[in-house]
Amino acid sequence: MNKKINNLIFVWLIMLVTTMMTIMPLPHFFYGIRIEWVALGVIFFSIMNVSLMGVIAAWAIGLLLDLLQGGLLGENALILSVISYLSYRFRFQIRVYPDWQIMVVTLFLLSFGNLISLWIRGFSGRVLFVTEEWLSIVIAALIWPIFMRILQTLQNYFVEE
Amino acid sequence: MAINPGQRIHRYEKNYSSYRLIFVIILSCVLMYQDTQDGYSKTIRTYLSVFAYPITYAANLPKNTIEGLRLRLSERASIIDESKKLKEENILLKSQLQEIYKLDAENRRLYELLGSYPDKKRNFLFADIIATSSVPDRRQIIINKGSTDGVNIGDAVADPNGIIGHVIRDQVFSSEILLISDLEHAIPIEITSTGERAIAYGSGDMNRLEIRSISLNSKVQKGDVVITSGLGGRYPEGFPVGEISRVKKIEGENLLAIDLSPFANLDVINEIWVIQTEVSKDE
Repeated sequence: MNKKINNLIFVWLIMLVTTMMTIMPLPHFFYGIRIEWVALGVIFFSIMNVSLMGVIAAWAIGLLLDLLQGGLLGENALILSVISYLSYRFRFQIRVYPDWQIMVVTLFLLSFGNLISLWIRGFSGRVLFVTEEWLSIVIAALIWPIFMRILQTLQNYFVEE
Repeated sequence: MAINPGQRIHRYEKNYSSYRLIFVIILSCVLMYQDTQDGYSKTIRTYLSVFAYPITYAANLPKNTIEGLRLRLSERASIIDESKKLKEENILLKSQLQEIYKLDAENRRLYELLGSYPDKKRNFLFADIIATSSVPDRRQIIINKGSTDGVNIGDAVADPNGIIGHVIRDQVFSSEILLISDLEHAIPIEITSTGERAIAYGSGDMNRLEIRSISLNSKVQKGDVVITSGLGGRYPEGFPVGEISRVKKIEGENLLAIDLSPFANLDVINEIWVIQTEVSKDE
């Protein structure tokens, strides 16, 4: 039981940190670039450690993100739960890929998330194609291998099997 | 990499994640629909936001600390310079203020002659910005005053130069403000030189609003000052909004395409105040 609580605290702390990194204001030079750390975190846990993160948890984090970013309530929640489900469903295939292929998969998942976001915007009447968003996704995918390594190290350290 | 034995799933083990996904998608759609329709999610949102406040505060701490440090470490010379400039400005403003008493009295006398009274009394509440939206197409800021300080949804917000937006959501200890440059924002305005009333729409660009309902034979010129008209009741009357930066005639169109550049510097907002409108008691 103690083990479970320990692991839960680990996951939610990591997710809280990624949430804060997502909404943290960047210097003006990076204007418009917004890296989806939360999505990266959700993908990581859905692929690598299923017992710690499920669809519902991803949804809850997305809801928190919506509140923080002041957007439509449920938009990020929907995107993150879909991303979580997809990466969970194909985890056995993805897990054995070499790093660069996982990177491509991440790019695909994040773009799919962005596509959903565009659909929702279309429904709510503000279709807007922001170039920086797609640029941010590419940057996020490039960051992915480092992100994965860091989280794996942390996980080996703190998560009890 | 070793796979955690706990997460190995047996072939015939039941897996509910698809059902969960469907459930969650439906729930999100209901929430989003409610949010666009101003349904009950507004109340839910207000109470949930209380949890968001510490996270917003913590996430913006590095930026705010760096800005605070920069202010504290700025050179003495520049501070003296600034203080001198502020003193001059203060004297200028005070000398202008002397006229106000006279104008105020005159105004009141005229109102009495007309038999009507200005019905609203205004309060100003100073606030600080704790966060700006990181999403590129959303022009929103969060300030550190909420409904516990008396901020209401719909209150107008201004900076020293002019109107910047209005309160759209209450977060109990803080509130969210939609800037006038947001794509979803529209503000009723009046062009001072011609007296024409119109609505200025946000363009998503920080330095440009659009007016699309002024007819071709209008005498609007570049540089005309635009103030709030007070129609619609959301924004108080007579506050400066901006000046007209471009007037363009489009072939085959009945209306002018007018651009407006706001007085308030929406990129770098520092001090702001919330304009609270109170209905006077004798009404």
